[in-house]
Amino acid sequence: MADESQNLEQNQHEKPMSFITMVVITGLFGGIFWSTLGYFAYVLNFTDIRPNIILEPWALGDWKNGWLGTVISIVAIGLFSVGAALLYYIMLRRINSLWAGVGYGIVLFFLVFFVLNPLFPGMEPFMKLSKHTLITSVCFYILYGVFVGYSISFEENEAKYRQKKNKEVPT
Amino acid sequence: MGTETKKKPIPKSLEEIERYYKERIGLGESFDLGVRKLKILRKNVHFYYVNGLCDTQFIIEIVEELIGINDREKLSTNLFQLVENRLAHQSVTKIEKLDESVDQVLSGLIVVFVEGETTGLVVDVRSYPGRQPEEPDTEKVIRGSRDGFVENIIVNTALTRRRIRDERLRFEMLKVGERSKTDVALAYLKDVANPDLIDVVRKEINSIEIDGITMADKTVEEFMVKQGYNPYPLVRYTERADVAATHILEGHVLVYVDTSPSVIITPTTYFHHLQHAEEFRQSPAVGTFVRWVRFLGVLASLILLPLWFLYVLEPEMLPQAISFIGPNEESNIPIVLQLFFADIGIEFLRLAAIHTPTPLSTAMGLIAAVLIGQIAVDVGLFVPEVILYVAVSAIGTYATPSYELSIANKLVRLILLILVALFHFPGFMIGTTIWILFLVHIKSLNSPYMWPFIPFEPTAFMQILIRRAVPGSKIRPSIVHARNRVKQPLKS
Repeated sequence: MADESQNLEQNQHEKPMSFITMVVITGLFGGIFWSTLGYFAYVLNFTDIRPNIILEPWALGDWKNGWLGTVISIVAIGLFSVGAALLYYIMLRRINSLWAGVGYGIVLFFLVFFVLNPLFPGMEPFMKLSKHTLITSVCFYILYGVFVGYSISFEENEAKYRQKKNKEVPT
Repeated sequence: MGTETKKKPIPKSLEEIERYYKERIGLGESFDLGVRKLKILRKNVHFYYVNGLCDTQFIIEIVEELIGINDREKLSTNLFQLVENRLAHQSVTKIEKLDESVDQVLSGLIVVFVEGETTGLVVDVRSYPGRQPEEPDTEKVIRGSRDGFVENIIVNTALTRRRIRDERLRFEMLKVGERSKTDVALAYLKDVANPDLIDVVRKEINSIEIDGITMADKTVEEFMVKQGYNPYPLVRYTERADVAATHILEGHVLVYVDTSPSVIITPTTYFHHLQHAEEFRQSPAVGTFVRWVRFLGVLASLILLPLWFLYVLEPEMLPQAISFIGPNEESNIPIVLQLFFADIGIEFLRLAAIHTPTPLSTAMGLIAAVLIGQIAVDVGLFVPEVILYVAVSAIGTYATPSYELSIANKLVRLILLILVALFHFPGFMIGTTIWILFLVHIKSLNSPYMWPFIPFEPTAFMQILIRRAVPGSKIRPSIVHARNRVKQPLKS
């Protein structure tokens, strides 16, 4: 019986995806998903800033303001978001709290809208941004931060839980 | 009631037992309680029963058998063994305590006492009043099995056992309620379900101290997940035996409560409430389509009204392309009041429909749809658009597969409306954000409520977005922490 149970599938504890892969996918999906929603928010006049703003520092053709530009911007934000997710993974993954994500989102918001603001000519200076734009952006950044942060912290927690379980079951 | 009486052994004298029954459970006072006294080989044999909970046919056969002893046997020395042998039933157990015998009699079993013996014989002749399994009203499908759960826990576990003949399927019986002594069963696969989860659920159920749980599973749920005033359903109910069996196979722990036709599925997330058996009865493509339409309906039931109302309040925000939206003429009543009147009006109808007999409710629906709406517009009470959007969001509410979730969403919609009325755009945006954060922070039995969206789990999220073909979904969802993650061999 003992030898038999070694070979059972339930004792293999195979992991479907490595942690880093999961972080990268979370970052990519998070960036694409929330910037798509951000685009809808722009269409609905909730914010003056559209995802295309990310292409502004580069001198590109006229297409960057068309639908192609929007799609490429959204994908580009997804790529930047992978970096943000990896950063969270490196720094904050052990904090198992929703608020870490909220804080991370707010920090990212200030980073983009305050520090990196001069990079984007299309973006008004921080103080001149409309109230709507600010509120929408903060909310989106908070939700994005929670999305990335909570996912990574949760996965870290799960990994710990799995390790504990594996130790408990003597193999 | 001290422990002394609880542990009282069965006395040898039948008169003493009868006296105990008269004092403790009112034999002779309650009409539904009875004792039948037989004389077998010059010794007394008594049995106690409750009217209506026992099957009389079985009892008649047993009595015939017992009396037959008089004709066929002579020696009365081993009468107890004779009686035990002659109890023509497969389920006979021995008990030693009087208190236990009372419990059994009140559950509908009969307890046979033989003069001079300190052991009672319990025969399971229960036959509870109940209905046949029929299709549950709340979870209809076009195709698929039509046997839903009923109010009898034995039938319910049997319906599940019929679908999972696995030797590792466990139904763990617990009793809840000091007075009601209701049966509660935990169902799980022993080698799959997470033992921690089983322990938590068992502990929560065992720690329930209450006189009775007449509202059955709902009461158990309130003790189990302690949701307070959070409107969101933290467990999923199902009345379908196939849905219950599917979740057991996925590694969930189910709670069956006697007297209720629905079972509790734990742990549950928001997205469990958005699934429906119908999706799995159609081809994957159709199932996916149905699911997306359903998501749209749920989304409409949540934010359509607040969004439209926002544009009414701040018309300058309206995008150029849809500038035709918004009331054209001045209305006599503030829009927010109209929205609330209309929404509460629909709520009136819903509540009325619950307890109106079917023939009347058809008439009621007509009055509601045709008359009230039209006349309200004619009189100048409502703007036509209010009726349109309230109706669409109401239909969205009905498209939510989980009744509990639809009402919780409705409450959130009303709160968002109030926020928009008070704070306009910031109310909408910040309100929605706080609502999402609130959902994310909820945990139901240690499982995050918005899983697999936040926290994100790519494979499980794909399963939510796309109704996968069954041969393709090989592993169990990670949220249940199944001990055995694989549903099908990975290589095939």
